[in-house]
Amino acid sequence: MSDRDPSRSRDLTVDDLEEMSDSERFRAAAAQLDDVHVLSVHNPAPPDSKLGRRAERKVAACFLLTFVSVVAFIVIFVAWPWEFSPGDHSFFAYWTYTPALGICMALALFGLGAGIVLWGKLLMPHEEAVEYRHGNRSDELDRQTTAATMRDALVTTGLPRRKLLRRSLGLAGGAMGLLAVVPLGGLIKNPKRALFTTPWKEGARLVRYDGVPMRPQDMEPGALETVFPGVPGGTKSADAATMLIRLRPGQQIASRKGQEGFGWGDYVAFSKICTHAGCPVSLYEQQTGRILCPCHQSQFDVTLDAKPVFGPATRPLPMLPITVDSEGFFVARSDYREAIGPSFWERP
Amino acid sequence: MSQPTEPRPSRLARLRRRASGVLALGVALGAVGVGYAVLAPASHAQDDANQSVDVRMGEQLYNEGCITCHGRNLQGVHDRGPSLIGVGEAAVYFQVSTGRMPAVRQEAQVAAKKPRYTEEQVNQIAAYVQVNGGGPVIPSGDLHDGDVAEGGELFRLNCASCHNFAGRGGALSSGKQAPSLANANDKIIYSAMLTGPQNMPVFNDNQISPDQKRSIINYVQTLKDTNDPGGNGLGREGPVPEGLVIWVVGVGGLVAALLWIGAKS
Amino acid sequence: MSQNANIADQTANWADERLGAAGALRKTANKVFPTHWSFMLGEIALYSFLILVLTGTYLTLFFDASMAEVRYNGSYTPLRGIEMSRAYSSTLNISFDVRGGLVIRQIHHWAALLFVAAIVVHLLRTFFTGAFRKPRELNWLLGVGLLVMGLLEGFAGYSLPDDLLSGTGLRIASAIMLSIPVVGTWVYFLVFGTEFPGTEIVGRLYIAHVLLVPGIIFALIALHLALVVKNKHTQFPGRGRTERNVVGVRMIPFFATKGGGLFMVVFAMLALLGGVAQINPIWLYGPYNPAQVSAGSQPDWYIGWLDGSTRLWPSWEIHAFNHTISPLFWPTIVMPGVIFTLLALYPFIEAKLTRDKAHHHLLQRPRDVPVRTGLGAMSIAFYLVLLMSGGNDLIAAEFDISLNAMTWIGRIGLLVAPPIAYWVTYRICLGLQRHDREVLEHGVETGIVKRLPHGEYIEVHQPLGPVDEHGHGTLEYAGTGVPKRLNQVSGLGRAIRGFFSPIEEPAAIEQEQERERELAGRPKDPQS
Repeated sequence: MSDRDPSRSRDLTVDDLEEMSDSERFRAAAAQLDDVHVLSVHNPAPPDSKLGRRAERKVAACFLLTFVSVVAFIVIFVAWPWEFSPGDHSFFAYWTYTPALGICMALALFGLGAGIVLWGKLLMPHEEAVEYRHGNRSDELDRQTTAATMRDALVTTGLPRRKLLRRSLGLAGGAMGLLAVVPLGGLIKNPKRALFTTPWKEGARLVRYDGVPMRPQDMEPGALETVFPGVPGGTKSADAATMLIRLRPGQQIASRKGQEGFGWGDYVAFSKICTHAGCPVSLYEQQTGRILCPCHQSQFDVTLDAKPVFGPATRPLPMLPITVDSEGFFVARSDYREAIGPSFWERP
Repeated sequence: MSQPTEPRPSRLARLRRRASGVLALGVALGAVGVGYAVLAPASHAQDDANQSVDVRMGEQLYNEGCITCHGRNLQGVHDRGPSLIGVGEAAVYFQVSTGRMPAVRQEAQVAAKKPRYTEEQVNQIAAYVQVNGGGPVIPSGDLHDGDVAEGGELFRLNCASCHNFAGRGGALSSGKQAPSLANANDKIIYSAMLTGPQNMPVFNDNQISPDQKRSIINYVQTLKDTNDPGGNGLGREGPVPEGLVIWVVGVGGLVAALLWIGAKS
Repeated sequence: MSQNANIADQTANWADERLGAAGALRKTANKVFPTHWSFMLGEIALYSFLILVLTGTYLTLFFDASMAEVRYNGSYTPLRGIEMSRAYSSTLNISFDVRGGLVIRQIHHWAALLFVAAIVVHLLRTFFTGAFRKPRELNWLLGVGLLVMGLLEGFAGYSLPDDLLSGTGLRIASAIMLSIPVVGTWVYFLVFGTEFPGTEIVGRLYIAHVLLVPGIIFALIALHLALVVKNKHTQFPGRGRTERNVVGVRMIPFFATKGGGLFMVVFAMLALLGGVAQINPIWLYGPYNPAQVSAGSQPDWYIGWLDGSTRLWPSWEIHAFNHTISPLFWPTIVMPGVIFTLLALYPFIEAKLTRDKAHHHLLQRPRDVPVRTGLGAMSIAFYLVLLMSGGNDLIAAEFDISLNAMTWIGRIGLLVAPPIAYWVTYRICLGLQRHDREVLEHGVETGIVKRLPHGEYIEVHQPLGPVDEHGHGTLEYAGTGVPKRLNQVSGLGRAIRGFFSPIEEPAAIEQEQERERELAGRPKDPQS
């Protein structure tokens, strides 16, 4: 059997249609023009049968449900007391508003959908039709003539013969490609040293989120405070957030090389920005001295100089050198000595 | 038996009786006023007496239930329980009223359970601990009358990282957990902030002022008392339960619908 | 002829004189679609996309993609007076101050979750039945493209409200960009413009979310559907079905009815979820602040597997020549890159290994291709371990398991679960194949136990077709379901339908079965 159906021929003419009913016309056209044959038709519910009337009522009930639900939706949308009122369980109008709207909407849509599906299942005839596939490649005549047409077109343009034309066109095409991309260059920014610095600097006070500077007597052992540099814009800076921790009696810090004496008394300050993916690591367990990151579960041990002890993080949290100024407030002795936050290529 | 007939009271007598009633009331009121004025200092003394009764009762409870681990005179026992000198009544209230103390055994974290002592007994133990070394005290009065928005900001900065954005709790390292705040009353939250139980950092009154603590409590309790405006809150746990719902209800329901649509009738 | 018919004729005539589309319209109406339920899974994704466009357009009327700071003064009192971006405050307004705004916002978010989920289920159906084979490899590639675009679109949308949860996600996304060797920092500054978070990212994500990515998705869907029409749908093997035909129902009215009904049902499901199940309650998360975070911060489910891989990856960092390759690079860029490449190339790899160059329009039962089915099960196991690890902190908290143990369960599970899944699936496939062959050879179990004259007990089997001299069935396996119970071979009549009272006449059922028997005896191919 060839790909092409041998019986498929355009022998249906307009004159043939004269004597036919619509149903006959459709079948003839489908079979002879579209190669689609209806094999069997089964009517589940003849129009006047008990089954048919029952099915029709079902479908109508679904459509009616849609109408009623839409009306209910509109009434609720307009008339429901929906204003929000927090802190009062007994005031429930606002929290029934969205569910009421959603349920009405769902019922309306479901009624229409179910009605259409039931209509198709219970009332429309069930047919089985077959359509023929005609292979995926084009037939040989089309393939060869198309290829020839394209080759002829290429020769007609003269491109294969004219070297200069070809090369200059290539040059122009490449340049146009650049023209499409180059304006996007406005997006490019040189990172410079931005990732290596934070707003912390020598003498910057350690202030709370509301700008109040911290003093050594403000915290109990085992306390944690998120502090920011007391400079303009410091509390908004995304890379300056720092954890000021007061150790419990007996907790000792095994300092990393070069970081000895960065703390002040039993106070230490570490960057709050995780060295793995940049989340704020503030789940501080004061007894075990562990800091957990809620994003990927890296764990840092404060007593080991915030070294990572579990999870995907590879670097210790950078330590901020701190001291207390003459007025008794905590200040930074410098910026962080290393880049805070996640690793990147330029970082040593 | 003959019944003695009582003479019908005269009009004057009725009047006199009424007047004497009013007078009696006046005298009684006066006596109460004077009595109160005289006796008031005495009732202070009564309070002190109650206090010392509380302390004595507390000591008794301590010696029965706590002494094994925390030692004689709150001194602590090495490797069993810390000294309780100076922890204050706030710490006792938190640990005992949430059932964490007395602990059943030593483990990574002492979990909350059904409290062993009544509220009154808790206060008695707290009084005993308080008189021996002092320490943080829970203030009286309304503990959640603060500014709810400021409380929210403080909650997200200091609390949400462990207790989740809606106070549902979360996991900590190696089997420890930050508990859910669902059953925590005002006093429990206040005392937890003040004393930093177990691995929770301490937030004393310099770090978070009493007003700010009240604001945080107000925020936590307001969230608990607020119905979810968008329907069922799915536990207020974020995208994980949402993902479960879309697969089980959404995809599951629609596959069932497809089977129904596709089924031969 | 009636008045209405006249008007219809005139309109059709008017249109055809200008479009000349009558022939194409009839051809389209007569296209035949096979009717298996699993062929409509892709439609769920398509309808979700339409619903996303509808609800998303509504949301743009109120959303303000600006990171300018404002002081909130709306109805949600617990945030009143707090500084936040306009993006966040306008999302609060949609939720609390726009009538019906919350329900639409929630439908939009649920539809996004369903969109990706339906793509995944549709992809699995295509994979396990071999529907991607020649000539449909191009459509497979378009599908993979749609999946990737769906993930990007979803992540961009999730990030728009600028709340604490999505801001945390953006921060991680920025760290992922930074982790790319050599160009990472430049890529980061290209996307974000300034140091994190800057003031531009929400605006840029917005235009990507409402124009760029949906435009690409729309174009890919159009091509995807055009190729389905061009290649015609695949079908399961069965009576009268061959590689050269499609058996099913015509587009109009039958398939259109089902499709239209399904659209409404999908929309109804999303409306129901949008009404009764709260999603992405940004007012609880609070506005984004880089110093704040919530326990249990997760992305939406379709990014969860990448969060999981990031959690499980060991702390390996490469330092060399004063440069660093971050441990983030491998699980978030290399791993998905490799996985999506393998996924896209799978049809070509399989064709190469099996040296299969034929066109395939008949689908395979998963049991008949045990290696592919095993590979699929293996991939699903791998994916599920990652997905579960993306929420391992919640599992740890909920079931009182150590968080560290959950991480190790994930790390070991990721290596152990896939091979086990492969082996188990492979064996199950072989077992099912054998059972099919057995039934074809010996027949269906009847449940009738007989005692033979010499005392042996046997169960009587009903052969499915003619038998040879040994009593063995001669039917060949045809790649289609083999009946395993007697009532599947119409040995018994079916029950009369009706829930409380019968709605069918017994005579009608007999007629129906008569017709079926008639059909069974007649081949589908009118030519032969």
